Amino acid sequence: MQRPVWSLPLSSAVISKLNRRGYQCTADIEHLTAGQLSTETGVKEEEASEVLDLVDHQRYPVSITALELLQREAELKPIVTFCSELDRALGGGIPLGKTIELCGVPGIGKTQLCLQLAVDVQIPECFGGLGAQCLFIDTEGTFFLERLREMAAAVVRHCSLLTEDQEQQDAMRTFTVEKILSNLFVVRCDDSMELLSQISDLPAFLSDHPEVRLIIIDSIAFPFRLHFEDLPLRTRLLLGAAHQLAALATTRNTTVVMTNQMTTRVQGEGSRLIPALGENWGHAANIRLLLQWIDCKRMATIIKSSSHMSTTVHYQINTDGFRDLSEASKRAKVQTEDQKAVGNS
Amino acid sequence: MVVLRAHMCPGLELQLVRDLRECVCNAYLCVKALLAIRRVLLAQHTAFPVSGADLYEDLLSSTAILSTGHPRLDELLDSGLYTGELTELSGGPGTGKTQVCFGVAVHIALHLKQGVIFIDTTGGITATRLHQMLQTESSSLEEQIAALQRIHVFQLFDVFSLLDCLCSLRRSGLQPVAVGGACVRAVIIDSVSAVISPLLGTRHTEGMSLMMQVAALLKALVKDFSVAALVTNHVTRSVGGAVRPALGVSWSHLPRTRLLLEGPDRSTHSFSSLRSATLIKSSRQPCHMRVEFDLSWWSRSKEVPSAKRKHS
Repeated sequence: MQRPVWSLPLSSAVISKLNRRGYQCTADIEHLTAGQLSTETGVKEEEASEVLDLVDHQRYPVSITALELLQREAELKPIVTFCSELDRALGGGIPLGKTIELCGVPGIGKTQLCLQLAVDVQIPECFGGLGAQCLFIDTEGTFFLERLREMAAAVVRHCSLLTEDQEQQDAMRTFTVEKILSNLFVVRCDDSMELLSQISDLPAFLSDHPEVRLIIIDSIAFPFRLHFEDLPLRTRLLLGAAHQLAALATTRNTTVVMTNQMTTRVQGEGSRLIPALGENWGHAANIRLLLQWIDCKRMATIIKSSSHMSTTVHYQINTDGFRDLSEASKRAKVQTEDQKAVGNS
Repeated sequence: MVVLRAHMCPGLELQLVRDLRECVCNAYLCVKALLAIRRVLLAQHTAFPVSGADLYEDLLSSTAILSTGHPRLDELLDSGLYTGELTELSGGPGTGKTQVCFGVAVHIALHLKQGVIFIDTTGGITATRLHQMLQTESSSLEEQIAALQRIHVFQLFDVFSLLDCLCSLRRSGLQPVAVGGACVRAVIIDSVSAVISPLLGTRHTEGMSLMMQVAALLKALVKDFSVAALVTNHVTRSVGGAVRPALGVSWSHLPRTRLLLEGPDRSTHSFSSLRSATLIKSSRQPCHMRVEFDLSWWSRSKEVPSAKRKHS
């Protein structure tokens, strides 16, 4: 079976010119030179060489074995979240080269986790971090610099307590709150158009800033839930954007974190909260974390991941940032529950 | 209309083409020559009839049934994936499509010692997870490494590179990837809808033709090289809340066997690894057959397989 010319990513004008001269399959063109093709079909010389590039077998995708992939993955360090339970569930932290979606009701801590990650990705390599930069795309206007400063100060403090050898002392001299702020790029997008063009522009941005290993979009849902009447168009635009992000994440080993809102689905008599943006969007991210309140405690659940078991962990948000539910408060909770049990009996 | 060129088929020499052009110019058509060309062209481009007996013999010698490694799924698929056929897994997010793909890849690479081509279009493949699965199946490091080397991964993010990839696989006869390893017996695409669904739904029919082109190439590939193909698909929800595979009616004719995976009811806060699979299209087993299976099967420890089996 031959591959038809129309299945190449070419403009319809070029395709119809080729077809008019009888070139239906890629096999008909392969052996020609750009000059020949151009004179025979009347397409421009540049277009002709573009066509020939497309049918060139050298350019076809190549595979790697799973073993090579495993070795590549082993070289990528994850981004710690500072919540050890969540880190353990995710195998050391948020993995590089994946797209991650955080879903949750307002106030559950989606933005807090984003800010925390924006700081954590900058932890110097000698402390087990990545020493990288971060791009924060803010669509809701919730980026809160004061809060980021607080978290950055807490992380700097944490690292200075861990400092032991000479290398770490040297690193600590430059690892300051100011440095963290200067390594963070913030983009404000007001509507879906701006967000989509920003996403399309990311490859160029990453070429200029190769140190950026984390892209945060807080939130992907807000611009798309605002006056969007053509729902199929919305789904198509979103899936296209998600695909671009996934390609970017994989090819550049950059992590993309997106936040999503929750919406209500009516089911029979009752209703329940589900992540917004529709059923198809659910496939978009590689890892989906659901942040929710259960019994007045904050819980994070991995609801979709190809590499992790579905797990639920506790976390809390304190002045330092996104943290473990501390042992003391856990014990206190258990005690009060014990007391309750005693009281009840 | 195809323009006649030299060497399009045997007998169509440059001189003949020139002569023909001249014939047309002089309004003097050599009917015999034209008829001869027509005969040759027809003979070259028509398929030959094959007798059923031959076909059956061919089938017996070339068809293999590749077990998925999971007894419950094998039950549903009538003992596994058939080579030369297209099998589809559809399901919502987090229903275990990718896990089943990983499981199948690991089983074929480790136990059947055959090559697998894994085309990842979502960035969802993690070799760490494949390695974990291998560790539960085999304790020898050499075996694990050999199995990992039999899995060939393509990471593609648009439909054109998927077409390029399928074309080059077909052209090379699956050879370059099979160098040094076993021959390839399975092609897994996770997921096919991720690259196709952004193209559909516009008024242009282009997306539809590209989808059909992917399907046609894939079918030709599995038939010619007698490999099994496993693809995954998203789902859409109809107004009534019922779930059905995405990509529409035209796609639904293409896979020979279709499975719909569903997760546990999420109304409670428990997230279990139990999933159910329903057969929605098959030519071997009654449709709407349904089995429950456990995703943790692939993470089970070697010592207690019987307990898990009872569980599922």
